[in-house]
Amino acid sequence: MRFLFHLLSMIVVALVVGFGLSYYALNDGRLIGAVRVGPWSAWPGSGSSSPDPYTRAYIARTGALQLGQGEGITFTATGDNEGRPLDRSCRYRIAGTTPVASFWTLRATDAQGGDIARPDGQQALRSRNVARANDGSLVLYVSRSLAPDNWLEITGKGPFELVLTLYDPSNLSGVGVAVQSLPAIFREACGA
Amino acid sequence: MRTLLWLLSGVLLGIVIHIGMILGLPGLATTTVWSRIAALGPPDKAILLPQPAPGMPNPLQLDPDLTYAVCRVDLAAGPGVVSGMLPDAYWSLAIFNKAGSVVYSTTNRDGIGQNLNLGIFNADQTHLLAEQRIEVADGLLIVESHDNDVFVVVRLAPPHQAERPRYEAALSKIACGNIKS
Repeated sequence: MRFLFHLLSMIVVALVVGFGLSYYALNDGRLIGAVRVGPWSAWPGSGSSSPDPYTRAYIARTGALQLGQGEGITFTATGDNEGRPLDRSCRYRIAGTTPVASFWTLRATDAQGGDIARPDGQQALRSRNVARANDGSLVLYVSRSLAPDNWLEITGKGPFELVLTLYDPSNLSGVGVAVQSLPAIFREACGA
Repeated sequence: MRTLLWLLSGVLLGIVIHIGMILGLPGLATTTVWSRIAALGPPDKAILLPQPAPGMPNPLQLDPDLTYAVCRVDLAAGPGVVSGMLPDAYWSLAIFNKAGSVVYSTTNRDGIGQNLNLGIFNADQTHLLAEQRIEVADGLLIVESHDNDVFVVVRLAPPHQAERPRYEAALSKIACGNIKS
Protein backbone atom coordinates (compact mmCIF):
# COMPACT_ATOMS: atom_id res chain seq x y z
CA MET A 1 0.00 0.00 0.00
CA ARG A 2 2.80 2.34 0.93
CA PHE A 3 4.65 1.46 -2.26
CA LEU A 4 1.56 2.23 -4.33
CA PHE A 5 1.21 5.61 -2.62
CA HIS A 6 4.84 6.46 -3.34
CA LEU A 7 4.52 5.35 -6.94
CA LEU A 8 1.39 7.42 -7.50
CA SER A 9 3.01 10.45 -5.84
CA MET A 10 6.04 10.11 -8.09
CA ILE A 11 3.88 9.85 -11.22
CA VAL A 12 1.81 12.90 -10.24
CA VAL A 13 4.94 14.95 -9.51
CA ALA A 14 6.50 13.80 -12.80
CA LEU A 15 3.42 14.75 -14.84
CA VAL A 16 3.00 18.13 -13.11
CA VAL A 17 6.69 18.98 -13.52
CA GLY A 18 6.93 17.63 -17.10
CA PHE A 19 3.79 19.15 -18.57
CA GLY A 20 3.79 22.24 -16.35
CA LEU A 21 7.36 23.11 -17.20
CA SER A 22 6.69 22.60 -20.92
CA TYR A 23 3.54 24.72 -20.86
CA TYR A 24 5.29 27.45 -18.91
CA ALA A 25 8.34 27.39 -21.16
CA LEU A 26 6.37 27.60 -24.41
CA ASN A 27 3.78 30.13 -23.26
CA ASP A 28 5.80 32.42 -21.11
CA GLY A 29 9.17 31.63 -22.58
CA ARG A 30 10.95 33.07 -19.62
CA LEU A 31 13.03 29.97 -19.04
CA ILE A 32 14.87 29.69 -22.33
CA GLY A 33 14.39 31.16 -25.77
CA ALA A 34 12.42 34.33 -25.18
CA VAL A 35 13.54 37.80 -24.18
CA ARG A 36 11.53 40.10 -21.99
CA VAL A 37 11.57 43.88 -21.95
CA GLY A 38 9.15 45.15 -19.31
CA PRO A 39 5.76 43.61 -20.10
CA TRP A 40 6.85 42.68 -23.64
CA SER A 41 8.25 39.33 -24.67
CA ALA A 42 9.65 38.07 -27.96
CA TRP A 43 11.28 34.97 -29.41
CA PRO A 44 14.24 36.41 -31.34
CA GLY A 45 15.44 32.96 -32.37
CA SER A 46 12.17 32.18 -34.15
CA GLY A 47 13.45 34.01 -37.22
CA SER A 48 16.84 32.33 -37.33
CA SER A 49 17.89 29.47 -39.56
CA SER A 50 18.99 27.34 -36.60
CA PRO A 51 16.64 27.95 -33.68
CA ASP A 52 17.28 26.33 -30.31
CA PRO A 53 15.07 23.37 -29.28
CA TYR A 54 12.73 25.55 -27.22
CA THR A 55 12.24 27.97 -30.10
CA ARG A 56 11.69 25.03 -32.50
CA ALA A 57 8.99 23.73 -30.18
CA TYR A 58 7.47 27.22 -29.98
CA ILE A 59 7.42 27.49 -33.79
CA ALA A 60 5.75 24.08 -34.06
CA ARG A 61 3.18 24.93 -31.40
CA THR A 62 2.17 28.30 -32.86
CA GLY A 63 2.22 27.32 -36.55
CA ALA A 64 2.52 31.00 -37.41
CA LEU A 65 4.49 32.85 -40.07
CA GLN A 66 7.45 34.11 -38.10
CA LEU A 67 9.42 37.15 -39.14
CA GLY A 68 12.92 36.35 -40.32
CA GLN A 69 15.77 37.92 -38.39
CA GLY A 70 16.47 40.15 -41.36
CA GLU A 71 12.85 41.31 -41.45
CA GLY A 72 12.04 42.28 -37.90
CA ILE A 73 10.79 41.09 -34.57
CA THR A 74 7.43 40.78 -32.84
CA PHE A 75 6.86 41.60 -29.19
CA THR A 76 3.75 40.47 -27.35
CA ALA A 77 2.34 41.74 -24.06
CA THR A 78 -0.35 39.98 -22.08
CA GLY A 79 -0.11 42.25 -19.07
CA ASP A 80 0.60 45.83 -18.08
CA ASN A 81 3.73 47.17 -16.40
CA GLU A 82 2.47 46.03 -13.02
CA GLY A 83 1.89 42.49 -14.23
CA ARG A 84 -1.90 42.67 -14.32
CA PRO A 85 -3.49 40.85 -17.29
CA LEU A 86 -4.76 43.12 -20.06
CA ASP A 87 -8.54 43.47 -19.86
CA ARG A 88 -10.75 44.92 -22.57
CA SER A 89 -12.87 46.77 -20.01
CA CYS A 90 -9.87 48.97 -19.13
CA ARG A 91 -8.19 51.81 -20.94
CA TYR A 92 -4.45 51.42 -21.49
CA ARG A 93 -1.91 54.14 -22.09
CA ILE A 94 1.21 53.01 -23.91
CA ALA A 95 3.94 55.56 -23.52
CA GLY A 96 7.63 55.84 -24.25
CA THR A 97 9.89 55.27 -27.21
CA THR A 98 10.39 52.46 -29.66
CA PRO A 99 13.68 51.13 -31.06
CA VAL A 100 14.73 52.49 -34.44
CA ALA A 101 12.95 50.60 -37.22
CA SER A 102 11.65 51.27 -40.72
CA PHE A 103 8.20 51.22 -39.18
CA TRP A 104 6.17 49.39 -36.56
CA THR A 105 2.59 48.36 -36.04
CA LEU A 106 0.65 47.86 -32.83
CA ARG A 107 -2.44 45.70 -32.80
CA ALA A 108 -4.70 44.14 -30.23
CA THR A 109 -5.63 40.47 -30.47
CA ASP A 110 -7.37 37.74 -28.55
CA ALA A 111 -5.43 34.73 -27.31
CA GLN A 112 -5.87 33.00 -30.69
CA GLY A 113 -4.35 35.94 -32.59
CA GLY A 114 -7.71 37.22 -33.89
CA ASP A 115 -7.86 40.97 -34.27
CA ILE A 116 -10.19 42.68 -31.77
CA ALA A 117 -10.09 46.20 -33.22
CA ARG A 118 -13.40 47.78 -34.19
CA PRO A 119 -14.33 46.17 -37.53
CA ASP A 120 -14.90 49.45 -39.40
CA GLY A 121 -12.01 51.25 -37.76
CA GLN A 122 -8.25 50.97 -38.13
CA GLN A 123 -7.00 47.50 -37.34
CA ALA A 124 -3.58 48.63 -36.15
CA LEU A 125 -1.68 51.72 -35.15
CA ARG A 126 1.23 52.37 -37.45
CA SER A 127 4.33 54.42 -36.67
CA ARG A 128 3.93 56.62 -39.73
CA ASN A 129 0.44 57.66 -38.75
CA VAL A 130 0.84 58.43 -35.05
CA ALA A 131 1.45 61.84 -33.51
CA ARG A 132 4.62 62.19 -31.43
CA ALA A 133 6.04 64.65 -28.97
CA ASN A 134 9.00 66.85 -29.93
CA ASP A 135 11.43 64.43 -28.31
CA GLY A 136 10.13 61.54 -30.40
CA SER A 137 8.23 59.86 -27.57
CA LEU A 138 4.70 58.75 -28.14
CA VAL A 139 1.50 58.12 -26.27
CA LEU A 140 -0.94 55.53 -27.56
CA TYR A 141 -4.29 54.51 -26.13
CA VAL A 142 -5.98 51.16 -26.48
CA SER A 143 -9.53 50.97 -25.18
CA ARG A 144 -13.19 50.43 -26.00
CA SER A 145 -14.07 53.96 -24.89
CA LEU A 146 -13.05 57.20 -26.58
CA ALA A 147 -9.44 58.21 -25.89
CA PRO A 148 -7.30 61.20 -26.91
CA ASP A 149 -4.27 61.30 -29.22
CA ASN A 150 -3.46 58.02 -30.92
CA TRP A 151 -6.33 55.66 -30.22
CA LEU A 152 -6.83 52.03 -31.16
CA GLU A 153 -10.44 51.18 -30.53
CA ILE A 154 -11.11 47.61 -29.47
CA THR A 155 -14.27 45.58 -28.97
CA GLY A 156 -15.54 42.70 -26.88
CA LYS A 157 -14.93 41.49 -23.36
CA GLY A 158 -12.23 39.56 -21.57
CA PRO A 159 -8.46 39.39 -21.77
CA PHE A 160 -6.43 40.44 -24.77
CA GLU A 161 -2.88 40.81 -26.00
CA LEU A 162 -0.92 43.65 -27.54
CA VAL A 163 1.34 42.81 -30.47
CA LEU A 164 4.10 45.26 -31.37
CA THR A 165 5.94 44.39 -34.58
CA LEU A 166 9.15 46.20 -35.48
CA TYR A 167 9.94 45.95 -39.18
CA ASP A 168 13.55 46.20 -40.25
CA PRO A 169 14.82 47.34 -36.85
CA SER A 170 18.36 48.54 -37.38
CA ASN A 171 19.64 47.52 -33.98
CA LEU A 172 18.03 44.10 -33.91
CA SER A 173 19.37 42.58 -37.10
CA GLY A 174 22.00 39.94 -36.63
CA VAL A 175 22.44 37.51 -33.85
CA GLY A 176 21.60 39.48 -30.77
CA VAL A 177 18.71 41.48 -29.46
CA ALA A 178 19.70 44.81 -28.00
CA VAL A 179 16.42 46.47 -27.19
CA GLN A 180 17.06 49.20 -24.67
CA SER A 181 13.50 50.25 -24.20
CA LEU A 182 9.99 49.56 -25.34
CA PRO A 183 6.98 51.65 -24.41
CA ALA A 184 5.46 51.03 -21.00
CA ILE A 185 1.85 49.89 -20.63
CA PHE A 186 -0.18 51.69 -17.96
CA ARG A 187 -3.70 50.70 -16.95
CA GLU A 188 -6.05 53.62 -16.52
CA ALA A 189 -9.79 53.61 -15.89
CA CYS A 190 -11.59 50.27 -15.93
CA GLY A 191 -15.23 49.37 -16.35
CA ALA A 192 -15.90 51.58 -19.36
CA MET B 1 13.35 10.12 3.79
CA ARG B 2 12.07 7.42 1.47
CA THR B 3 9.10 9.59 0.50
CA LEU B 4 11.48 12.42 -0.34
CA LEU B 5 13.45 10.12 -2.62
CA TRP B 6 10.27 9.10 -4.42
CA LEU B 7 9.32 12.74 -4.90
CA LEU B 8 12.80 13.57 -6.12
CA SER B 9 12.50 10.71 -8.59
CA GLY B 10 9.23 12.26 -9.73
CA VAL B 11 10.94 15.60 -10.35
CA LEU B 12 13.71 13.92 -12.34
CA LEU B 13 11.17 11.95 -14.37
CA GLY B 14 9.28 15.20 -14.94
CA ILE B 15 12.40 16.84 -16.33
CA VAL B 16 12.84 13.87 -18.67
CA ILE B 17 9.20 14.26 -19.80
CA HIS B 18 9.79 17.98 -20.31
CA ILE B 19 12.89 17.43 -22.45
CA GLY B 20 11.08 14.75 -24.42
CA MET B 21 8.15 17.08 -25.07
CA ILE B 22 10.35 19.97 -26.18
CA LEU B 23 12.37 17.76 -28.53
CA GLY B 24 9.39 15.76 -29.76
CA LEU B 25 6.88 18.54 -30.32
CA PRO B 26 8.19 19.67 -33.75
CA GLY B 27 7.84 16.12 -35.08
CA LEU B 28 4.48 15.45 -33.47
CA ALA B 29 2.69 18.70 -34.38
CA THR B 30 0.02 18.04 -36.99
CA THR B 31 -1.01 21.63 -37.75
CA THR B 32 2.16 23.45 -38.70
CA VAL B 33 2.87 26.53 -40.74
CA TRP B 34 3.82 24.22 -43.63
CA SER B 35 0.49 22.37 -43.52
CA ARG B 36 -1.36 25.68 -43.38
CA ILE B 37 0.51 27.07 -46.37
CA ALA B 38 0.14 23.79 -48.31
CA ALA B 39 -3.61 23.91 -47.76
CA LEU B 40 -3.84 27.31 -49.47
CA GLY B 41 -3.12 26.11 -52.98
CA PRO B 42 -0.77 24.36 -55.39
CA PRO B 43 3.00 24.85 -55.47
CA ASP B 44 4.83 27.00 -58.05
CA LYS B 45 2.22 29.72 -57.80
CA ALA B 46 2.17 32.95 -55.82
CA ILE B 47 -0.88 32.89 -53.56
CA LEU B 48 -2.19 36.02 -51.90
CA LEU B 49 -3.06 35.60 -48.26
CA PRO B 50 -6.41 37.19 -47.37
CA GLN B 51 -6.31 40.09 -44.96
CA PRO B 52 -7.25 38.83 -41.48
CA ALA B 53 -10.72 40.12 -40.65
CA PRO B 54 -11.49 41.58 -37.22
CA GLY B 55 -12.91 39.03 -34.85
CA MET B 56 -11.89 36.10 -37.03
CA PRO B 57 -9.12 33.58 -36.25
CA ASN B 58 -5.68 34.52 -37.52
CA PRO B 59 -3.69 31.29 -37.19
CA LEU B 60 -0.77 32.54 -39.28
CA GLN B 61 -0.68 35.69 -37.11
CA LEU B 62 -0.63 37.99 -40.10
CA ASP B 63 -0.30 41.72 -39.62
CA PRO B 64 -3.48 43.23 -41.12
CA ASP B 65 -1.50 46.29 -42.15
CA LEU B 66 0.58 44.30 -44.65
CA THR B 67 -0.15 42.26 -47.76
CA TYR B 68 1.33 38.79 -48.13
CA ALA B 69 2.07 36.38 -50.94
CA VAL B 70 3.38 32.86 -50.45
CA CYS B 71 4.77 30.32 -52.88
CA ARG B 72 5.81 26.72 -52.34
CA VAL B 73 8.71 25.32 -54.34
CA ASP B 74 10.14 21.81 -54.51
CA LEU B 75 13.86 22.07 -55.19
CA ALA B 76 13.97 18.38 -56.13
CA ALA B 77 12.44 19.50 -59.45
CA GLY B 78 15.17 22.07 -60.02
CA PRO B 79 16.40 25.31 -58.52
CA GLY B 80 13.62 27.60 -57.39
CA VAL B 81 13.08 31.08 -58.70
CA VAL B 82 10.85 33.90 -57.47
CA SER B 83 10.73 37.08 -59.51
CA GLY B 84 8.65 40.16 -60.01
CA MET B 85 8.49 43.93 -59.87
CA LEU B 86 7.11 45.33 -56.66
CA PRO B 87 5.81 48.82 -55.87
CA ASP B 88 8.13 51.40 -54.38
CA ALA B 89 7.36 50.64 -50.74
CA TYR B 90 8.83 48.58 -47.95
CA TRP B 91 8.83 44.87 -48.67
CA SER B 92 10.63 41.89 -47.30
CA LEU B 93 10.92 38.21 -48.05
CA ALA B 94 11.64 35.09 -46.08
CA ILE B 95 12.33 31.54 -47.16
CA PHE B 96 10.95 28.88 -44.81
CA ASN B 97 11.68 25.18 -44.68
CA LYS B 98 9.14 22.50 -43.87
CA ALA B 99 9.86 22.77 -40.13
CA GLY B 100 8.83 26.43 -40.22
CA SER B 101 12.36 27.76 -39.70
CA VAL B 102 13.49 30.77 -41.70
CA VAL B 103 16.29 29.74 -44.05
CA TYR B 104 16.91 33.25 -45.31
CA SER B 105 15.32 36.67 -45.02
CA THR B 106 15.98 40.15 -46.31
CA THR B 107 14.29 43.45 -47.03
CA ASN B 108 14.32 45.77 -50.01
CA ARG B 109 16.38 48.17 -47.91
CA ASP B 110 19.32 45.83 -48.51
CA GLY B 111 19.87 47.42 -51.93
CA ILE B 112 17.46 45.19 -53.84
CA GLY B 113 15.08 48.02 -54.74
CA GLN B 114 11.85 47.14 -56.50
CA ASN B 115 13.14 44.10 -58.39
CA LEU B 116 12.53 40.78 -56.75
CA ASN B 117 14.80 38.22 -58.39
CA LEU B 118 15.57 35.33 -56.10
CA GLY B 119 17.06 31.92 -56.84
CA ILE B 120 16.90 29.09 -54.31
CA PHE B 121 19.35 26.23 -54.70
CA ASN B 122 19.92 23.08 -52.72
CA ALA B 123 23.48 21.97 -51.94
CA ASP B 124 23.89 19.88 -55.11
CA GLN B 125 22.54 22.65 -57.31
CA THR B 126 24.84 25.19 -55.67
CA HIS B 127 27.72 22.86 -56.51
CA LEU B 128 26.59 22.70 -60.15
CA LEU B 129 26.19 26.46 -60.19
CA ALA B 130 29.74 26.91 -58.97
CA GLU B 131 30.89 24.69 -61.82
CA GLN B 132 28.79 26.81 -64.21
CA ARG B 133 26.72 23.79 -65.19
CA ILE B 134 23.52 25.69 -64.43
CA GLU B 135 22.79 28.94 -66.23
CA VAL B 136 21.06 31.68 -64.34
CA ALA B 137 20.03 35.19 -65.24
CA ASP B 138 22.26 38.10 -64.24
CA GLY B 139 21.34 39.77 -60.98
CA LEU B 140 19.77 36.67 -59.47
CA LEU B 141 20.05 36.72 -55.67
CA ILE B 142 21.20 33.20 -54.88
CA VAL B 143 20.25 31.51 -51.62
CA GLU B 144 21.18 27.98 -50.61
CA SER B 145 18.73 25.77 -48.78
CA HIS B 146 19.53 22.49 -47.07
CA ASP B 147 15.93 21.34 -47.61
CA ASN B 148 14.11 20.71 -50.88
CA ASP B 149 10.68 21.62 -49.54
CA VAL B 150 10.60 25.37 -49.06
CA PHE B 151 8.16 28.22 -49.32
CA VAL B 152 8.76 31.91 -49.84
CA VAL B 153 6.79 34.66 -48.12
CA VAL B 154 6.80 38.18 -49.53
CA ARG B 155 5.51 40.90 -47.23
CA LEU B 156 4.56 44.24 -48.73
CA ALA B 157 3.57 47.30 -46.74
CA PRO B 158 1.15 49.64 -48.54
CA PRO B 159 1.63 53.22 -47.29
CA HIS B 160 -2.15 53.55 -47.03
CA GLN B 161 -4.87 50.92 -46.86
CA ALA B 162 -6.63 52.61 -49.80
CA GLU B 163 -3.72 51.44 -51.95
CA ARG B 164 -4.02 47.87 -50.80
CA PRO B 165 -5.73 46.54 -53.99
CA ARG B 166 -2.92 47.89 -56.18
CA TYR B 167 -0.29 46.35 -53.95
CA GLU B 168 -2.12 43.03 -53.86
CA ALA B 169 -2.29 43.07 -57.65
CA ALA B 170 1.48 43.55 -57.81
CA LEU B 171 2.04 40.67 -55.40
CA SER B 172 -0.22 38.35 -57.36
CA LYS B 173 1.93 38.92 -60.47
CA ILE B 174 5.01 37.44 -58.83
CA ALA B 175 6.35 34.52 -60.85
CA CYS B 176 7.39 31.48 -58.90
CA GLY B 177 8.54 27.99 -59.77
CA ASN B 178 11.61 26.04 -60.88
CA ILE B 179 14.36 27.11 -63.23
CA LYS B 180 13.95 25.02 -66.35
CA SER B 181 17.18 23.47 -67.59
